[in-house]
Amino acid sequence: MADRTSSRAGWRLILRSVRARRSGLILGVATGLAWTAAKVSTGLIVKTAVDQGIQSDDTGALVRWSVTLGVVALFSATFTGLRRYMAFREARWIEADLRDRLFAHLQRLHFAFHDQSQTGQLMSRANTDLQQVQAFVVMIPLTISNAVTVLAVTVILALIDPLLTLLALGSLPFMNVLATRFSRRLYPSVMGIQRESAELAAVVEESVAGVRVIKGLGAEPVQAARLKAEAEDVYDQSMAAARTRARFLPGLELLPNIGLIAVLAYGGHQVLNGDLSLGSLVAFNVYIAMLVWPLRMLGMIVAQSQRAAVSAERVDEVLATAPLVKDAAHPVPLPTGPSGRASGICVGGAVAFEDVRFGYGRQAPVLDGFDLRVAAGESVALVGATGSGKTTVARLIPRFYDVESGRITLDGVDVRDLRLRDLRRAIGIVFEDTFLFSDTIAANIAFADPDASQAAIERAARLAGVHEFVCELDDGYATRIGERGYSLSGGQRQRIAIARAILADPRVLILDDATSAVDPTKEHEIRDALSEVMRGRTTIVIAHRPATIALADRVVLIDSGRVAAEGTHESLLASDGRYRQVLAAAERSRRATAAATAAAGNGGGDDARRPEEVAR
Amino acid sequence: MWMASGVSEEDRLDRVAARRVLRRTAQLLRPQAARVAGALAMVVLWTGTVLAGPYLVRFGIDHGINGRDAGALNAAVVGYVVVAVLAYVTNRIQITLISRVGEDFLRRLRIRVFDHLQRLSMPFYDRSKAGVLVSRMTSDVDSLAELIQLGLAMFVSNALLLVVSLVVLTTVSWQLMLVCLVALPPVVVASVKFQRDSNDAYLDVRDRIGSTLSHLQEGIAGVRVVQAFAREEVEVGRFERGNRELYDSHMRSVAISAWYLPVIELAGWGTTALALGVGGWWVHDGALTVGTVAFFVLTLSNLFEPVQQLSQLFNMVQSAGAGLHKLYELLGTPVDVPERAGAVDLPAVGDVEVEAASFAYGDGPDVLRDVSLRIPAGSRLALVGPTGAGKSTLAKLVARLYDPTAGTVRFGGVDLRDATLASLRGRIVVIPQEGFLFNGTIRDNVRLARAGASDAEVEDALRAVGAYERFSVLPDGLDTEVRERGSRLSGGEKQLVSLARAALADPAVLVLDEATSSLDPGTEALVEAAVDRLLEGRTVVVIAHRLSTSERADMVGVVDGGELVELGTHHELVAAGGRYASLYATWIAGAGTVSSGAAAG
Repeated sequence: MADRTSSRAGWRLILRSVRARRSGLILGVATGLAWTAAKVSTGLIVKTAVDQGIQSDDTGALVRWSVTLGVVALFSATFTGLRRYMAFREARWIEADLRDRLFAHLQRLHFAFHDQSQTGQLMSRANTDLQQVQAFVVMIPLTISNAVTVLAVTVILALIDPLLTLLALGSLPFMNVLATRFSRRLYPSVMGIQRESAELAAVVEESVAGVRVIKGLGAEPVQAARLKAEAEDVYDQSMAAARTRARFLPGLELLPNIGLIAVLAYGGHQVLNGDLSLGSLVAFNVYIAMLVWPLRMLGMIVAQSQRAAVSAERVDEVLATAPLVKDAAHPVPLPTGPSGRASGICVGGAVAFEDVRFGYGRQAPVLDGFDLRVAAGESVALVGATGSGKTTVARLIPRFYDVESGRITLDGVDVRDLRLRDLRRAIGIVFEDTFLFSDTIAANIAFADPDASQAAIERAARLAGVHEFVCELDDGYATRIGERGYSLSGGQRQRIAIARAILADPRVLILDDATSAVDPTKEHEIRDALSEVMRGRTTIVIAHRPATIALADRVVLIDSGRVAAEGTHESLLASDGRYRQVLAAAERSRRATAAATAAAGNGGGDDARRPEEVAR
Repeated sequence: MWMASGVSEEDRLDRVAARRVLRRTAQLLRPQAARVAGALAMVVLWTGTVLAGPYLVRFGIDHGINGRDAGALNAAVVGYVVVAVLAYVTNRIQITLISRVGEDFLRRLRIRVFDHLQRLSMPFYDRSKAGVLVSRMTSDVDSLAELIQLGLAMFVSNALLLVVSLVVLTTVSWQLMLVCLVALPPVVVASVKFQRDSNDAYLDVRDRIGSTLSHLQEGIAGVRVVQAFAREEVEVGRFERGNRELYDSHMRSVAISAWYLPVIELAGWGTTALALGVGGWWVHDGALTVGTVAFFVLTLSNLFEPVQQLSQLFNMVQSAGAGLHKLYELLGTPVDVPERAGAVDLPAVGDVEVEAASFAYGDGPDVLRDVSLRIPAGSRLALVGPTGAGKSTLAKLVARLYDPTAGTVRFGGVDLRDATLASLRGRIVVIPQEGFLFNGTIRDNVRLARAGASDAEVEDALRAVGAYERFSVLPDGLDTEVRERGSRLSGGEKQLVSLARAALADPAVLVLDEATSSLDPGTEALVEAAVDRLLEGRTVVVIAHRLSTSERADMVGVVDGGELVELGTHHELVAAGGRYASLYATWIAGAGTVSSGAAAG
């Protein structure tokens, strides 16, 4: 029972979920027991009808019992449907509820957790794992009534003829054992088929996506060989499953036959000797048939419960992970300026880093002894080589991660003392890799405020330089983007992300390399718009392009986790060798893009459709 | 056992299509005819044993018990033992044979469809949606696999069981059977309705699962943005609504079976009650034996089971049929860049000549018109021009990814359409702009260019483009798995692998689509050097995005509006003051402004 001990948390989760739905499940069990009563009595009614009605020539009894059978059959049939419905109602509810909880929890878990998790794995927690739990829970009420049925039938038959009961039902416990084994053996093959099919699908997918490479190199035979190997693997797994089926299914069908033969052989002679009524003989036959499925299911539930516990364990692992970044016990309200806001200009937004130390996980610290003060309304450009820590600086302000030591303040308050929601509402960030949702363009821009007016959306769009191209689309702002919608270029996506941050109207605006994919011919437009947005607003810009850097009041050069130099663009250019190096390195990689656009003519570089980038 | 399956209205096969699918399948199964016949025979026998049991009980009761003949009773028991053994054996053989035939059919179908997909030309891929092509090999084949693994034997045997039960019951007592037939109309009506409703319910559940999963996926992938904008509550609310809809959809589907299953059960037990009452009455009259009534009782309770199974399986069969139909259609798509009979190998070296070549997609307008040029062996042609002007179409004609709709493309004097595909791909290789990696190791990815290449040759190819050191220092060296299409490698590293492929292929002609996007500063210089080494000594057609590339080419072709508007050396074209000269001027001006920062350093 190593499974059971190692998945104790899984069992606890299932137990908690079941307990939360106990009234529904009890109702399900009650329905099941009503089903059992009706079902079990049918055999007895058949027996009585044969003995008292047919064998003893009593027409009245015959009619009475036949009608009774019809009525009981109506009950039994109704309860067959009802117990199934009730069982699924609770099981599907538990599945849906756990899925809601998983999603809600994932939405609140800290960045560091998501950095280490793979989307696919989290997906399967909320999908296949929950299905395993559901498949087990649905069996619980069904199994209880099934078990009672088996018990009741055994008692009834034993009262009629103990020895015949032993002969008739003696082989049936093996069915339970066989069903358990069958379920356990089949499961790995079924999983194997799924795994191998997924691998085969991966070869197909990449062959279609990479068809240009394959055709270009004439590599069709290589891919064909890979696919053949995968097809062989699927075949092998499928045949393994088929062999398991061939081994167990005929046996599972043979066992009830053994009981039926025993009944006919021994029971038949008992009837001949006058020790057993013919009705009882028929009833034995009816009951054996009745027990076939309940016994098989009893066998399956053992294996299913173990799988469900392992799955629930994995679900519990996620649910039990406590969010590391959360509200303080007694959060401090975000200070408002003396007059709140005046003439559309934000008040407040002073950011300070005080001796901050931070590293990702157990790796060496990225920032160490980092000090930076940004006055309210000031704009600062962070410049540094790859890996110097400038993106980390940006990510610490909205508490995507918490500092190891030192502190960060917003308008004089430690960010950890603010309500997380207030803090993040006060900050607008544009990430380097743009993520947009499969929704309309309007909904994407109004992400920070779903109730934003169309005018507000358009204002933000104008400032980010997307209004024009959106208006050219057939559906305008209602155009759906993403997997099944319109494909945007990288530059268009970045500009929508900028609009999204502008609409949030934050105290602090953070632009993390936010214009890297924007077509250089359009960049100046956005620069003009950005300078408008930045006026009077605290802004932190991470950039390489001199023109973008020049937007900022002050430039801060970051090198190995500290502020290495600061000043204006011109002064640093003149005085600091490292600053010149960093810019020159960035310049080299950018020259290509500029030339590419020139060669492509009318801004083709920006607007080339790259659907594979959308909604990634 | 519950098997959900369904087919959408537009995929449902009409009679003609269904017949075509059956005919084609029969053709493909012909080599397996003996096994198919064997499997069918086993299914028939197995079905027989299911009915033989109750029949022997009837015999035992009538002749043994009521006839007071112990010998007859014993004969019935022995008969039952034989039947049970036969049931076991036939069932086992049946499962094995059907799986073997079915899985083998699936395996060959998969390989065949994929081979066909691979042979189809670039124009086909340009026309088709990738997702649809992939679904042929996945969901369409899978719906077929599901039928073979779970349903085929059951479908056949249930259909047989239903028919044979009805026949046998009628033979034993047609009067009693007639009485029991009152249950048939409601069962048929309910089954038809169930089959339709459960199909719709399945499709609805499937769609909602799909949307819940994509919502989930987006919620996880976009979690950073959600948190950055403090939108957790809104997102959770949206997810809960969708999830609730999925729950409701599940319950609608359960409700359908919750009313249908009782109808079937009631039909079984209701007719059992009828058989008991009416049959018992006739036993009193001496018109019927007790054994016959017992036989009816034992058989009737299961008579309607097959109807229920069939109505469930019907959806599965339909969806598998629709899948097969689509697969056969795909297999019927003609290959439009085929190898001609009597094709010849291309010479090792030679000039590339394009003569009055035009190209159009299908009946569309020409995307390339009357282009002629000659690229002497070993020289370099750079193609420049706006996006969509036809540069890449021209490049694709040179590599025979497309055949020209008019005119000819020749290598070493041989029309590419007369060349063997093997020699064509050996001489002319295309390197696309993005470094596309396949799942596997770095070594596997380079080896894609030449399947039989040794490890040493792969390493030499990497060295030839100066990328060996870059990868050999990784913990697993060249055996590093590039997961999820190379997400662990940078854009520049992917390009290096792509260039090493070309080095391994070692072609006479290289068609290169230069990268437009900027690379990470660390690999930029490395990639540039790799390209330079690779182009050395080969005939090159490069779709240039950097004018520095065209500057160094022997010849520059400016393509615009599907025509070759300028052709000459860099200096000639700059001097001529045409399109190229103005592009060049823009570049110089642009480079001047952006490099001001660096220039100062």
